[in-house]
Amino acid sequence: MNRAKNAKLVLWILAGFAAAVALNRYLFGLGVTTNLNDRTPWGFWIGFDVMAGVALAAGGFVTTAVFYIMKREEFHPLVKPAVLTAFLGYVAVVVGLLFDLGLPWNIWHMIIYWNPHSPLFEVGWCVMLYTSVLLLEFSPVPLEEYSRYAKIRNFLMKYRFVLVLLGIMLSTLHQSSLGSLFLIMPERLYPLWYTHILPIEFFISAVALGLMMVAFETLVSHWLYRRDPETVLVGKLCRVAAWVLALYFVVKSFDLGITGKLGLVFNGKWQSDLFIVEIAVSTIIPAVMFAVPRLTRKPVVQWTGSFMVVAGMVLNRIDVGGLAMYDSTASYTPSWMEIAISLGVVSAACLVFLFVLERFNIWEIKPADPESMPQTAPSFDYSSRSWLGTPDAASLARHSLAFVLSFALGMGMMSGKRLHAEGVDSIRVSPATGIDTLCINGNRDDQYVEFSHEGHIAWLRTHAISLTIDGVVHTASPSGGDSCTFCHHLNLPGEKVSNCAECHTSMYSEVDFFRHGWHASAVGANLKCDDCHATGVTRNAASAKKCTACHRGYDFAPGKGAAGPELYIPSYVDAMHKLCVSCHIADLREVSSLSQTNGGILSGKDKSNLAQCASCHRTGVPPELRADMKWQVKLPHYDNVVLPNVGVTVK
Amino acid sequence: MTTSSLLEFARGPLFRLSFAILILGLGRIIFLEIWGIIKAYGNTCDMKMPWQLIRSRSLEWILPVKRMMRNRDVYSVVSFLFHFGLLIVPIFLFAHINLWQQSVGITWPALPYLWAFWLALSTIVFGATMLIGRMAVKQMRFLSKPQDYFWLILLLTPFVTGFICANLSINAAFYQFIMVVHVLAGDLIFILIPFSKIAHCVLAPFSQVVGAIGWKFPSGADEAITRTLDSPKG
Repeated sequence: MNRAKNAKLVLWILAGFAAAVALNRYLFGLGVTTNLNDRTPWGFWIGFDVMAGVALAAGGFVTTAVFYIMKREEFHPLVKPAVLTAFLGYVAVVVGLLFDLGLPWNIWHMIIYWNPHSPLFEVGWCVMLYTSVLLLEFSPVPLEEYSRYAKIRNFLMKYRFVLVLLGIMLSTLHQSSLGSLFLIMPERLYPLWYTHILPIEFFISAVALGLMMVAFETLVSHWLYRRDPETVLVGKLCRVAAWVLALYFVVKSFDLGITGKLGLVFNGKWQSDLFIVEIAVSTIIPAVMFAVPRLTRKPVVQWTGSFMVVAGMVLNRIDVGGLAMYDSTASYTPSWMEIAISLGVVSAACLVFLFVLERFNIWEIKPADPESMPQTAPSFDYSSRSWLGTPDAASLARHSLAFVLSFALGMGMMSGKRLHAEGVDSIRVSPATGIDTLCINGNRDDQYVEFSHEGHIAWLRTHAISLTIDGVVHTASPSGGDSCTFCHHLNLPGEKVSNCAECHTSMYSEVDFFRHGWHASAVGANLKCDDCHATGVTRNAASAKKCTACHRGYDFAPGKGAAGPELYIPSYVDAMHKLCVSCHIADLREVSSLSQTNGGILSGKDKSNLAQCASCHRTGVPPELRADMKWQVKLPHYDNVVLPNVGVTVK
Repeated sequence: MTTSSLLEFARGPLFRLSFAILILGLGRIIFLEIWGIIKAYGNTCDMKMPWQLIRSRSLEWILPVKRMMRNRDVYSVVSFLFHFGLLIVPIFLFAHINLWQQSVGITWPALPYLWAFWLALSTIVFGATMLIGRMAVKQMRFLSKPQDYFWLILLLTPFVTGFICANLSINAAFYQFIMVVHVLAGDLIFILIPFSKIAHCVLAPFSQVVGAIGWKFPSGADEAITRTLDSPKG
């Protein structure tokens, strides 16, 4: 089994999947791809991509400090990979941030528009500067391949001590101030994580995490390319990490003790359970394991210990970044798309890492591509059985195929409903015009539906019909009295029949038909907050009165409107189609027995044409309704479309 | 699964999947083709390429009035008209543009109804002619593989079903069934294009370059040939 080959294939698949989500994030926005909202604007991406990403990249400054400042020469083999990991980690942070920012094209604003009071300003600057420093620190490695850049390389090598110092300084600054970001939100962060020394805790844990990330990355990359593991060096890292972890634990416990929060650890809430798991995985168990020098030389201990610290500290950053919310009603679960993008960014960084590892002198010997070894069997195309070519051509074909297929899978898995709702600008519906015969042309594109209102009333007076829409049965019968409610299923207060467009206000997207602003305003219902919302609890839809408490007799569809935060109703198009088409198709079964033409309703023969859009949607306004339509203005979005039935361009 | 939910699936998630495979898959083979050409070009010892000839030949093959009229006039005209309708009708059909407009909000000019009607009809007729020709003419039958018949039938399926839906009076249930066949066949075509001979839709411009480079020996080939000929086995 070729480990590196399979690993790369998996990474390409993850990257392709994320690319599809990323495309939709940029085309349709955050609402389509994330579960973030105004209450929880910082979610998984901040916790994982930014905070954990920066912490994971701490290996760069820790290793350079150990090698250049403390002059521990034996760590030399770890320096280049650690700096590379750090650089790619920071690039991944920046890329991840570009997904998370609502207006990513404004990311450069902090360079010009200064806000020196903000910790975020400092973090932004430090990340920007440190990424540049890391690039300069690492660039001698690729530059040594090209003799024409020897001068630049010599210059960089001459001043690399300055770069190292700068790097350590900048890292110290922003690793801690990532914690300072959360000092301003004591009301959001659960007290077990919230502390005034959050910056100090962040810095200590970053050092431990940096050490363990270097260890873990060394173990994994050596395993992938089947090299002898650097057991001695990693063992030394583990022993140093034991001290740092112990310090972290002591600081954390003292802080909890002094601030009197120790009781919270064992109070049985899910936050305290989360805290216990986090501190055990990230600190206590690894510190105990690494405390025994004999154990640190064992690969099993190195693998499990370093992985536990990495996973535990990442969990810590995610907790602080939004998971451990004080108010559990504000908690959110990241959507699979958020996780997919984060995984994709990490995968892309790993792919670049492996590429650089194979291409440049990171290790003393470049790992040979196992596929180009003479004993490796050539690869063939699955279907045509033709030779895929030289190893590089074969891997290119294979990886690009993996990328394409997983990208397509990602596109297929996107929620069509979300895309549909976000894809078009909200087009406000214009109500139907006319009296006995209605002219329905909600988006005013000159494709209208002529609807015989009188005819339908007459028909409903003589027929019994039941219709199932979304699992709700609607019935009307001649004996049942008022058959108007069959179509006018819900009417505005004070109105006997409301126009469809009064609630279904958007042409193509779902709308929230509850008008909060109108209920609260003095010119509307003039209600005070307490009239609807219970006092003493968070004011939201869940704590509000049910609509039926005031609007008695309202017949909401089950699950909608009766309670719950979402009063979303279908778009105008969907509502009309559901009502008209469902009814006519249900009626189609009786077509043979109904040959009469009722005042303009489609006759039995015509109904068989119902499936064709044009049998209802006609072009051109009927003469008798033309007077009513004079005020109508054409919307620009149909300008380019040539309508099929008449063959003229609508201007 | 009812017909309407199948239709929703076929023109929602399945369409997005197959369209992504189509676009990225074609991009992928273009990339691989160019990459291979560059690699092969780097290996040749004779770097001279007849670019002028390659360009004029590529153009000749795209508009086959000059080249194919020499021996197979009926076939070349029918094939050209078939390709024309095959590309134009699906892209510029009003109903298709309307779907794009409603889902992602982009539009482009549409074919007038009569144009679409006659083009679609002509594509069906010419496609059927090609299919019959393949089966009837002995030489063509000899050269044809199963996938050649399969592709013609598969390409004609959405045309025939789409034509029925757009122009004939049929009842709603049958309409939905035909529509499902229409969309599923379209999805299948999209998925298969990058991995089959239909990939010539993007690879055709490179065929002359590949042909020209294929005749070049890689550098060092002369020595290898001499060595092989001199060896006792050779």
